[in-house]
Amino acid sequence: MGDQRDGRDAMMFDGVVRIEELVSREGLAELCKSFHTLFGIGVRLYSIEGGLLAAATSDQQLCAEIGKSKEGHRVCAATVAAVAARDPDATGELVCACFSGAVYTVACIDYDGRRVGRLILGPYVPVRTQEDFSRLSQTVPELEVEVARTLLAKIPHAKSDTIKRICAHLRSTLDLILFSGHRAHMASTMHLASVRESYRELADKNERLQEAFDRLKELDRLKSQFLATVSHELRTPLTSIIGYSEMLVEGLAGEMKPDQIEFAKTIHDKGEQLVRLITGLLDLGKLESGTMHVSIHDTRIEPILADVVSTMTPAALKKGVRLELRLDREEELPGLRADSERLRQVLVNLVDNAIKFTPSGGEVTLRADVASIDDAGSEVFQDGLSVLAPTQLPVEIRVADTGIGIPPAERKRVFDAFYQVDSSSTREHGGAGLGLAIVKRLVDAHAGSVRIEDGAHRGTVFVVSLPQGGPGLHE
Amino acid sequence: MQINFGGREIALKLVYYGPALSGKTTNLRSLHELTIDGSRGRLMTLETKDDRTLFFDMLPLAFRAEPDKSGHAGMTLRIKIFTVPGQVTHASTRRLVLQGADGVAFIADSQIGETEHNAASFLDLRQNLKELGVVLKDLPVVIQFNKRDLAKIRSEQEIETLARRGKEPVYSAVAVRGEGVLETFFGLLSIAWRRLDAQHHLADMLGIASGDLLPMAAKQLGLTVAVPTLLASSVGGSLERYSAAGP
Repeated sequence: MGDQRDGRDAMMFDGVVRIEELVSREGLAELCKSFHTLFGIGVRLYSIEGGLLAAATSDQQLCAEIGKSKEGHRVCAATVAAVAARDPDATGELVCACFSGAVYTVACIDYDGRRVGRLILGPYVPVRTQEDFSRLSQTVPELEVEVARTLLAKIPHAKSDTIKRICAHLRSTLDLILFSGHRAHMASTMHLASVRESYRELADKNERLQEAFDRLKELDRLKSQFLATVSHELRTPLTSIIGYSEMLVEGLAGEMKPDQIEFAKTIHDKGEQLVRLITGLLDLGKLESGTMHVSIHDTRIEPILADVVSTMTPAALKKGVRLELRLDREEELPGLRADSERLRQVLVNLVDNAIKFTPSGGEVTLRADVASIDDAGSEVFQDGLSVLAPTQLPVEIRVADTGIGIPPAERKRVFDAFYQVDSSSTREHGGAGLGLAIVKRLVDAHAGSVRIEDGAHRGTVFVVSLPQGGPGLHE
Repeated sequence: MQINFGGREIALKLVYYGPALSGKTTNLRSLHELTIDGSRGRLMTLETKDDRTLFFDMLPLAFRAEPDKSGHAGMTLRIKIFTVPGQVTHASTRRLVLQGADGVAFIADSQIGETEHNAASFLDLRQNLKELGVVLKDLPVVIQFNKRDLAKIRSEQEIETLARRGKEPVYSAVAVRGEGVLETFFGLLSIAWRRLDAQHHLADMLGIASGDLLPMAAKQLGLTVAVPTLLASSVGGSLERYSAAGP
C-alpha cells in the first residue's frame, strides 16, 4: 500500500539491509581470511543477488588435476555453479557434495529476520566417510585412484559438527558486524535528519524574526515621519505667534502700556522656548533614526570655541555668571574631522546647561587640549591599552562649571532623553531633558565620546573627546 | 505502517514516549529479557556515556503467520518499537522518531515530583504530532505509570480515578523488574492492531482471524501468560473504543 507519509518512510528504519552497504568489502575479505587461516577451510561470502563479496581459499592440487581434463573442468564448473545457486531453506544450512568426494556447506546470512546473503564453506572432506572414487574415476578416468587418494588427503578434513560450529560462529560474527554497521548507519541517518530538522526550525524562526524586524523598522519609520510632520505643523503657527508678539512688542500695532508689552514679551519668550523644544525633538528623532545628516570635514576647534563663547556670553552676563575660554597650549590644537555646525551645537548645549545650573557669581570655563596618556580620567585607559590605544590621542574639550554638580550615581543617566536629575529643576531651570541626549548622540556620530569627569571639587566637568583628524581617518 | 506485498511483509511502528528518565529504555530492555529469541531481534540502543538515550532505542519484533491452505508462505508482521530521547533539548529528534508511528505508549513517572514533567511531555507529544499532521485523539495511545515501587508516588486510587475519566488505558509498572511491561506492550499492540485492522484489513492480508494476532504474538515471543490476562490489567480507558475505524 502506498503509505501517505511520503518522504517520511526513512524514519521507519525498516529498509532492507545490504551487506555491502554496511561493511566494506576489504573488511569482509579480512574476516574470510582470518577464518580461513584459523580453520584451513575456504570461505566465500555472497550478496543477496549472488554476487561474490569476499573470499579466502587455497588452491587444491586435486582440483588442479581435475581441471587438466576437459570433462573434469566442465563438470567442476557445473558443480560450482550448482552449489552457488543452491539456497538453504529456513533451517539455514545445506551440504553439497562434489564428485571428487569433497563437500561444500552453504549457509544463509540473515539479518533482522530477512535473508541478506549466503556463505559457502569448503571444499572439505567429511571425516568418517567411506572413500568413493567411482564418480571421480568416471569423470576423469586418466586420474589414478592412488594419486586421487593422496591429493584428497591434502584437502582439509572436518567433522560435520565442527563445520556446523564454524558456520554458526561465522554467521554470528557476521550478524554482530552487520548489527554494528546498521546501528551506525541508523545513528548517522537520524543525526543528519535531526540536523536538517533543527536547521528547518531555525530558518522558520529567523524568517518570523525578520518579519517582526521589518515591521518594527516600518513602525519606526512611521514614527519618525509622524514626529517630523507634527513638528513642522507645530512650528508653522508658532512662527506666527512669535512674529506677531514681536511686532506687538515693537509697537508695530500701536503703542502699548508697559504691562501689555510685558505680556507680549512673555508670549514671545515662551514661543521661542517651544521652538527650541520642537527643534530638539526633531534633532533627537533624526539622530535616533540615523537620518540626521552629519557632514564631516577637516575642522579646527579654536574658532568653534570662540564662536560658542561669543554666542553664550549674553546669556552668561544675564545670569551673572563668568564665561571664559582658556587655551593654555602654546602650539595649535590638532585638526579634527567633524561637522563644525554640529560640534558648535554640542558645545552651545553644554555651555547653556552649565550656565543654567550655575548660580549667580559662579564661573563656566571652556578648555581644549590633547588627551594625556597619564590622565587617569581618560577613557583611553582600558584593558590591552598598549595594543588598543590609537596612534593619536583624542582632543578633549572640557566644559566646567561651579554649579550644583551631578551625583556620581546619576552621571550615566543624564544622557538619556527626557531624564532630569531632579524633576524640580525642570520648573526652576526649564528644559525638557533633551539637551544632553542630543549632545551624546551628536558626539557618537563623530566617533567620539562624552562623559562627566570624576573628582571635580565642585560643580560639573563635561568632557567631549573627539578623535584627531589624521590622514585617512573616518573616510 | 508500511505494507510490502512483494516481500510479504507488514511493518508497524510503535513509539514509547515520555519525560526524561521515566523508564522508556528500561521498558524495552525488560521486554527484550521477557521474550525469547526468534521473534525478537537484537535490542539496538544509542546512548551517551551516562546511559541517556541519544537518538532512540529500537527493538525489532517479527511475527510470521502460518502458510495458507495453498501452501504460500505466510505474511510477516514486523513491529519496530522505538523510544524517544526524553531530554527537552532533543525536541527535533523526538519529532523525527514519532514520524509514522502507529501507536504510542506514554511512559509516565509515578513520583509526585515528576507530575509536571509528565504533563509537559504529554503536551510535547501532542504538539509534535500536530506538527506531523496527526491529531492525538486519532492515535492509539496507552499510558503506563512506571516506578510503582518507589516512595512518594501518586496513589493507586488517584491513578484509577483519573484513568476511569481518561480516554487511554492506563497500566501500572515497575519496568526494572519487568512488571507491567508485557501488559503495556500488549495493550498498545491490541489497540493499534484494532485500529489498523479496521482501516486496512490487515488480518485478511496476514491470513489470520483478527482475534488471533495477539495470541500468535504471545506464542512466538514465548510467553506463558494468556493474552486476556495481560489485557485485563489495564485501568480505565476503553480498549473497545479503538475498534472503531478512527478518523
